[in-house]
Amino acid sequence: MSFWKPERLTWLHRANPVVKLGVLVGLFLMTVLTHDIDFILYQAVVFTVCLLALSGIKLSKMLLLSVPFLIAFLSSSTSMMLFGRGEDVWWQWGLFRVTEESFYRGLHLGFKGITFAAEGLLFVTTTSSVALFYGLMQKLKLAPKYAYSFMASIRLLPMVWEEYVVRRQALQVRGIRPIRGVKGAVHRAGMYAVPLLAQSIRRAHRVAAAMEAKKFNGETGKHRTYYYVSRFTVYDVLIVLLLAGAACISYMIANFYPWFGIGDVRF
Amino acid sequence: MQSNVNAKMNGNVRRGLRLSDILVTILISLVLGVVYHFWGSVYGLFKPLFFQADEMMYGMWFAASTLAFLLIRKPGVALIAELAAAHVEVLFGSGWGLSMLLYGFIQGLGAELVFAAFRYRNYTAWAAALAGAASAVGSMFVDIYMAYTDSYVLWMYLAKYSMRIASGAIIAGLLMFALAKALERTGVASLLRPASAKDYAALDDSRDV
Repeated sequence: MSFWKPERLTWLHRANPVVKLGVLVGLFLMTVLTHDIDFILYQAVVFTVCLLALSGIKLSKMLLLSVPFLIAFLSSSTSMMLFGRGEDVWWQWGLFRVTEESFYRGLHLGFKGITFAAEGLLFVTTTSSVALFYGLMQKLKLAPKYAYSFMASIRLLPMVWEEYVVRRQALQVRGIRPIRGVKGAVHRAGMYAVPLLAQSIRRAHRVAAAMEAKKFNGETGKHRTYYYVSRFTVYDVLIVLLLAGAACISYMIANFYPWFGIGDVRF
Repeated sequence: MQSNVNAKMNGNVRRGLRLSDILVTILISLVLGVVYHFWGSVYGLFKPLFFQADEMMYGMWFAASTLAFLLIRKPGVALIAELAAAHVEVLFGSGWGLSMLLYGFIQGLGAELVFAAFRYRNYTAWAAALAGAASAVGSMFVDIYMAYTDSYVLWMYLAKYSMRIASGAIIAGLLMFALAKALERTGVASLLRPASAKDYAALDDSRDV
């Protein structure tokens, strides 16, 4: 995808996608298992810094990407703040009831959302899906039929968009006027869903038949060769050290300079 | 045709996923994954209606598993479909990042288990509705762990998840069943399914010696 085209290449781009995926899944699990608000705050800060340093994409694009961060923060934190259980009531209005416990728990969820977003973008901004699936096939022995299916369908997706445009034009030519409002939206969805899906199933089936004929399913012989060879390099060691170091740093700062100092946020 | 008959004899046709099954599953899921990505805004539209009204729209995010299973009817399809749809969201740089894959996995697993409980032989609207509801229950468990929803006040918790389960049953179950039926009428489903005993019986003409 050209949108993710980096301005400069960093260590993270040069590392093997499988290693990168492994490290980021590890970090993800660490974030899931964190229930301490100070630790999660510093994780959010440290991984956002990592993202700015390592993603290699332009700062203006990064600002655009920070919109999902904001949405993740707001939608994870607000409902917990307003409706979470807690003893120490700060503010109450009708059904809304903000307590001290629920406020901090909401804040914790907001920081967690930011951390997840940063970890996800660290991977997405630096890895092409082709490199990822070739790596998974060669290093983790993912069956080629899955890997090639994923790669092929990502390439087929723009054709579905083309079908959509054709369908829209066809409906225009036939003089079908769009109905306004919710009812119109439902009606429109119905007019597009069936032809688009049917067409993509047909196309996928044709492509799959051709791929099977070319033995992309990899049923014959274990020792197939690959056009792109996935290798482990010294950059893999570097990024493992770098990202593990980032996690350690956030843990240490949380211990030495806790902001909130309330520990576990669970009820 | 001959090879198909042979495969049938060896019992290869029904067992396992072929590349074409996987490719079709993934492409359907990617299309739905794009819908998933923009569904957030539809979801947001319902928010002001009444309290937690957005949960009524949540079921769309379980649609890939049921639709793919109803069309392809093989073991494993429901799980792959939901994972593939979640992978689109990660690819598009959604704010939810990798947690999307975890949700996708558990939701797909919920639907898959329901279809497995029927030994993958039940393609009715009921089975689909049950699978949609099971995905919702799966997402509830992930929510408890990831978003501490168990520490909401009780009435809020019940309202949220009963609406979500109902939405899963209606949107992912019944609506996708209707869509699958509509797709069957276009004739594409015959591409996807292995030939049935009835098809083979049609080959035996009693006039042939």
